[in-house]
Amino acid sequence: MAISRPTLAAIRYGYGLRPGEEPPRDAEALLAQLDQAAKRKPRFPREGAGGRRETASRVMSLRAAEAKAAKDGKPNESIRKETQKEALQIYRQDAMARLAQAILSPFGFHERLASFWTDHFSTSALKSLPMRMVVPLYEAEAIRPNLAGSFANLLKAAMLHPAMLIYLDQSDGAGMDAPAGRPGGRAVNESLGRELLELHTLGAGSGYTQEDVRAAALILTGLSVDRRALEVVYRPRISEGGSISLLGEVYEDDEAGSQDHLRMLEDLAMNPMTAEHVCRKLVIHFVADEPPADVVAAMTAAWAETEGDLKAVYRAMLDHPRAWSDPGQKIKRPFEFVVSGFRAVDISDKDLSRLLDEMDDDDQEDDGPMRKALKMASSTAARADAKQRAARANDLTLAALQRMDQPIWQPPSPAGYADLASVWLSPGQLSERIAWARLMAGRFGQRRDPGTFLDAALGDAAGQNTRDVIAQAPNTNHAIAMVLASPEFNRR
Amino acid sequence: MTIKPGSSLSRRGFLAGACCAAAAPVLTPFSVAAAPGESRFVTIILRGGMDGLDLVQPYGDAAFAGLRPTLGLTPGTGLVDLDGFFGLNPAASALMPLWQENALSFVHAVATPYRDGRRHFDGQTMLENGGTDASQKSGWLNRTLAVIPRTDGRKALDIHTSMELILSGPNKADNRAGTGDVEMAQDEIGFLDRLYAADAPFAAAMEEVKRTGFSAGGYRQKRNRSVVDMARLAGGMLREDYRIASFSINGWDTHVEQASQFGSVAGELAAAIVALKDALGADAWARTVVLAVTEFGRSVRENGTGGTDHGTGGVAVLAGGAVSGGKVMGTWPGLAEDRLLDGQDLMPTGDVREIAAAMLHKQFGIAPDKLTSRVFPGLSFDRSSIYLQG
Repeated sequence: MAISRPTLAAIRYGYGLRPGEEPPRDAEALLAQLDQAAKRKPRFPREGAGGRRETASRVMSLRAAEAKAAKDGKPNESIRKETQKEALQIYRQDAMARLAQAILSPFGFHERLASFWTDHFSTSALKSLPMRMVVPLYEAEAIRPNLAGSFANLLKAAMLHPAMLIYLDQSDGAGMDAPAGRPGGRAVNESLGRELLELHTLGAGSGYTQEDVRAAALILTGLSVDRRALEVVYRPRISEGGSISLLGEVYEDDEAGSQDHLRMLEDLAMNPMTAEHVCRKLVIHFVADEPPADVVAAMTAAWAETEGDLKAVYRAMLDHPRAWSDPGQKIKRPFEFVVSGFRAVDISDKDLSRLLDEMDDDDQEDDGPMRKALKMASSTAARADAKQRAARANDLTLAALQRMDQPIWQPPSPAGYADLASVWLSPGQLSERIAWARLMAGRFGQRRDPGTFLDAALGDAAGQNTRDVIAQAPNTNHAIAMVLASPEFNRR
Repeated sequence: MTIKPGSSLSRRGFLAGACCAAAAPVLTPFSVAAAPGESRFVTIILRGGMDGLDLVQPYGDAAFAGLRPTLGLTPGTGLVDLDGFFGLNPAASALMPLWQENALSFVHAVATPYRDGRRHFDGQTMLENGGTDASQKSGWLNRTLAVIPRTDGRKALDIHTSMELILSGPNKADNRAGTGDVEMAQDEIGFLDRLYAADAPFAAAMEEVKRTGFSAGGYRQKRNRSVVDMARLAGGMLREDYRIASFSINGWDTHVEQASQFGSVAGELAAAIVALKDALGADAWARTVVLAVTEFGRSVRENGTGGTDHGTGGVAVLAGGAVSGGKVMGTWPGLAEDRLLDGQDLMPTGDVREIAAAMLHKQFGIAPDKLTSRVFPGLSFDRSSIYLQG
């Protein structure tokens, strides 16, 4: 049975169907989302970009002062602990906001692209304590505003954000042959240059050499992070001087501006290898593990024609017939699975906030309204209850993603999360997904009609076998769980 | 005799009926529990269609052995004899001490007004909403709360991850998750097999999941353990100030290999009732009625896969110190071909709603007209109900 185009648009290019939300009719409707979404701010960081810089700066100053005092023999354990706790709580709030953003936004294609590019330009909140606060800022200000413009702009915004430099150890100019600019001195940290070529632009196996990696790394020297202001700065005194050649281009530091790294990024963005690598990756993500070559070719042609205008590239993909055929070849990644599950049960903003509140209520020192009430009751049963509620809220959201191996903003490596069925369709994964589906059914599935829920969750994407099995299920809960655990709901 | 959907056999007819099972009832007038405000009532919903003919087997019926060639037992093959006609499945033998203390009864050949559809969802909806169709949106136990005369008898608890229909509605009731996630029942795993059957990679992954066991974090507890924990939790709360509690036991949809599946889930039911008794303590138990009911019984004939299919008439379980127990109640319709409903099901001769109404009247002193107007609209019930005799 062929799946209608709106259903496929919602499942393949968005985060699935949501009751009351008109699914995108076609390619034009998907592309229109990009303009509409551009006007909206994401739900994170919670205090906004400026507010987040203040928060992070305050927390880091406190910790720096404590570290200094500790060196002088006056450590302050409570400052260390409290700042740790604060950073963790900020991360948790933002991660829940990240989840809510994907669930509640009517612009699913924009949301999927935000995830795709955040993943393409991976950074991790696990890197260090400040990164728990900086990575959400990175997605909000480097990735999201630039995902429908030129690739060069997106590349520059991502590479020149503090999050990327901290993640790839370029933040203090550390690892560079810093003091005297002697390339023959200490080893240059090549990680930023290496990931730039291997992951972000040209792609592994595209023919560049170790010399190219080193050249890119050298061109990037001088970039650093002002940790107070949380801004990327350029420090000429630690930059590698002289002229450096990369892929046939010569980059030279001029005394005044030192913009050679910007020129390099622009050149890399226009490199056909980059177009090929990125377009393939987009097709692997959205269409099939084995990307159809003609779809990739149409996209790279659009790339060349428009100098890497991403909207034109997306359009080339969506205008291709293969973009709308052979459904169900991709296995949803855990984040997509969980987000689409919450959309299917039509969770409200309020219920999402309640989940976060329940998790916060488990923090012993946190004086939320619930906690105050509990203190007054001082009943151990109520406390145990709150603990259990917190665990359950976590099991439904952040801990679920952790267990399914796709925790929010914590990719396993700079290469990001895997995107292949061989990884995401495994016994362990299925076991976790069934468990999560059952938790969801228990909390949000009560007294739903399973047939209605199946239609809401999958529309005409539900196959006959699934329809039959759901209709005959031995209890409503299990029926609802089976909708979420069904092959159709786990594929896209 | 044919019974139209929704009709119930005259309760007086019960006494005159050719029932071979029930002991002659002792016609002592019923009196409201001695200490009002101390009475307790627990419902256990058996989801999936509990096979009453397997739990309480009519081995004395001449047709039984032929209909149940592999599932049917006799006292000679392990069945625990109850009264010379019915016997208890040995998997539930942990209940026998209660039987001997007259704290356990069974009501045979009963059903809700649900007929013909044999669909779990609709059947469970009507079991919980107490109506004659699926349209009623509140649960009968919730509506009961409003008509309990004493306000201190109204504190009610549903043990489930979210409020079940039976206690949902306009009146305040509490909801608490059990202490762990309930592991899947065998019938539920069987349905997952079917769900993945049409998708080879998923089917293969599911096979491996079953082979290695569900190791996911969501399954923190062994199933039998968590059913008992729900019962303990209910018992503990009822021992304090709760007076009404409800929870569910899944796993009764035994289409295949019923002998082992039914045995494990019947064992859980028995263990849950015993755990409830222990958690309540002697005083509270003495004032408690536990009613375990299911959405429908199962086909009288075994099917080709060692199981049974969706049916109609079945068994309700009554337990507790406040039960006048030690008997199998109900009007036995017989298993001869011409006595079956549609030629395939045990003919219902009683309405499970009447059992519930009788127990609510007995425990809380709710007037029968309130029960038949507000809790179970359309139900025929008064103080002469057979379930209030003896």
